[in-house]
Amino acid sequence: MTTRVKQYINSYTDSSPLAVFRIGFGLMMLFSIVRFWNKGWIEKIYIEPSFHFKYYGFEWINSIGEGVYILFILCALSACFITLGFKYRPAIITFFLSFTYIELLEKTVYLNHYYFICVLSFLLIFLPLNSSFSLDNFISKTKSISVPRWTIDSIKLMLCIVYIYAGLAKINSDWLIEALPLKIWLPSKYDIPLIGETLMQENWVHFAMSWGGMLYDLLIPFLLLYKRTRTFAFLLVVFFHVFTRVLFPIGVFPYIMIISALIFFDAQFHKWIINILKIIIDPISKKLSHINIQNVKFNSNKKIIWVLTIFFILQLTIPLRHLSYNGNIMWHEQGYRFSWRVMLMEKLGYTTFKIVDKDKNQFFYVQNEDFLTSYQEKQMSFQPDFILEYAHFLGKNFKNQGYDDIAIYADSYVSLNGRRNQRYIDPEIDLLEIKDSFENKKWILPLKK
Amino acid sequence: MIKKVITLFTVATMFFSCGSGKESLNDYNDGFNRASLLQNIADNIILPSYNNLNQKLEALEVSTNNFTNFANQNNLEQLRLDWLNAYLSWQNVEMFDIGMAEEIDFRRKMNAYPCNVTRISLNISSEDYDLNSSNHYSAQGFPTLDYLLNGFTDPIQVYNGPESSKHLNYLNNLVQDMLTNTNNIINEWNSNREPFITSTENTATSSLNKLTNDFIFYYEKGFRANKIGIPAGVFSGSPLPQNIEAYYHNLNNNNTSKILALEALTAIMKFFSGIYFDNTSEGNSLKNYLNHLNALEDGDTLSNVIITTFNSAETAINDLDDNLMNQINNNNYQLLVTYDKVQAAVPLLKIDMIGSLNIDVDYIDADGD
Repeated sequence: MTTRVKQYINSYTDSSPLAVFRIGFGLMMLFSIVRFWNKGWIEKIYIEPSFHFKYYGFEWINSIGEGVYILFILCALSACFITLGFKYRPAIITFFLSFTYIELLEKTVYLNHYYFICVLSFLLIFLPLNSSFSLDNFISKTKSISVPRWTIDSIKLMLCIVYIYAGLAKINSDWLIEALPLKIWLPSKYDIPLIGETLMQENWVHFAMSWGGMLYDLLIPFLLLYKRTRTFAFLLVVFFHVFTRVLFPIGVFPYIMIISALIFFDAQFHKWIINILKIIIDPISKKLSHINIQNVKFNSNKKIIWVLTIFFILQLTIPLRHLSYNGNIMWHEQGYRFSWRVMLMEKLGYTTFKIVDKDKNQFFYVQNEDFLTSYQEKQMSFQPDFILEYAHFLGKNFKNQGYDDIAIYADSYVSLNGRRNQRYIDPEIDLLEIKDSFENKKWILPLKK
Repeated sequence: MIKKVITLFTVATMFFSCGSGKESLNDYNDGFNRASLLQNIADNIILPSYNNLNQKLEALEVSTNNFTNFANQNNLEQLRLDWLNAYLSWQNVEMFDIGMAEEIDFRRKMNAYPCNVTRISLNISSEDYDLNSSNHYSAQGFPTLDYLLNGFTDPIQVYNGPESSKHLNYLNNLVQDMLTNTNNIINEWNSNREPFITSTENTATSSLNKLTNDFIFYYEKGFRANKIGIPAGVFSGSPLPQNIEAYYHNLNNNNTSKILALEALTAIMKFFSGIYFDNTSEGNSLKNYLNHLNALEDGDTLSNVIITTFNSAETAINDLDDNLMNQINNNNYQLLVTYDKVQAAVPLLKIDMIGSLNIDVDYIDADGD
């Protein structure tokens, strides 16, 4: 066993897939940041709101107001550096830190694909993506045409984890037996040309797409890994992600997945891409051609292998933490995030808060728009940890206004996957008495039906 | 091999879908004619409501002129009556915060209450103000007219006294401005009717989505909060009787607030059911659309549940003291109970109706969680 592991760790392969992945990743990140900025979302999400929802354990992350623009600039610059393979290690560390900090600033915009980028960029810190076809080669005057296989395989493994957990999450009765929420979403796409008024309205299409989506997620890693099915699988990846892009507002995620899936192709393919790139940048590369670059052997660093082993153990276990909570995970959402649960539910809520002044025996309701933007209110209304966090914010706010002894109750209604709305939070529970933790949230009422 | 697998999946999924499809309650076949819904709302509700408001404001203009020429008690009574009629008519229009109405903040210019008496007095004496500035929204429109007509202990003396011309000028300017804005909006509606009706796609800016969102917003804020919740103290802990609609008119033992609230609720119910503004004919509406989508709510159709909830809110408002100020001062608890009945429709509209229509709120990227 150990000899096999050692053998594997010491087996080498061509480094060009890493170079292509680096360029693809850098460009996609740059595009993603420019797009985000261009849409005015920095202002809307990070600056306008007076209150920001924070992740459990990261409440200490300070909102930095306009300073968030500096983070975005850092992010964009480091993405450029990554693309060029220039000062790669500091660049990818800067990217990981700035991107993650931005994400931690506001929980409302949690998206699996942003989390994917955080996780992936962390992984990339430990991989030699600049070992060939990078500016760093000219600085150090060395390059590594071969790299250990584990460097490329760990990217593949990360992608497999994402797909397989996304597929496993789809094995639930709403998705497979009721074709929900696709049965709600697809008919509302009546305005898509050709298929909107026809296919999108068909019951069998909703089922075919539910089952197809589940099977796609579960099988695509294997189809990509197996050489004979790889090209077909990649076409499937392109079709699947472009199709979801047409149907749903999921931003750049489809493109990131398409570009990432290229890593499964062999070195031959990546060399071909690099040759095309070399032709494009020919005028510049000629000027640098006098520099002599030595090929050196890349040695695996044992510490890095240990870091990555722990990293992957965590990646495999974190999505399973929901198993320690009873009930429907889509309803109580304990263990829902960071688990590759994508496009799984249609959830709408309406939550208001009753502030009871115990001294005067008076009560009043909060108008959420006094504190939250409409998007924050929408997200807060059906997610228990948001509801609790907001209740505590309200508690502080009103105590500062001179209310000494208050209790806060949520009047909360939620609908999951087209079910009728039902009361979500126990209205008898004073939320100020509750502290957020990993403990089962008993103040969430169970889902009926 | 792969082909076989794919064929197998396809056959399996189709087989599966045939098996369970028939039992499903939410069998959507969206063939609903959204254009006819928009046409009904535009031609039979929005435009007639606006035209009616225009007529009522023209009558108000006439009586304002008469009062300006001769500020006596008779003319004042006529002016108050025409103000009330226009205010009633306004209740049918406020929810349509679309197009130019939205651009010029018509809703807030016409009906921001309570009005700001200090600001009004300042404007009257300085004669220097910009009605288009948001600072002056609470110094114009119906609530300010309410103050100008009903807020003085001896109005005849005010409008004949040393400051009379300044007061009359302000009164005339406000009425003129309301009329001009209304006319402009009607003109815009007439020229934009076609694009409004044909904008049936499912995006944040399409007519149907905007109309629905505005309707819910109006129900929640303009109706529920402004007319009932805020005066009852739902958001402040203690009642705020001075925040009722048409406060000054109520002070003189009129029952205006309640009448206006009931008129607004009637307009809400008529909009939901697609009932014409000026007769009882019914066209395509949110109600029909929900029925078409077969949206169910505990065995009953969602539209029925919503209508029943509206009806119980109406009954509760009817049961209140005719003078809401007395209600607040004598038994505010009943107003709080009424608020709960009005409130009961909000989750139905914001969760179940929006969910059934699956209206696209195109705000930022989402991956469905």
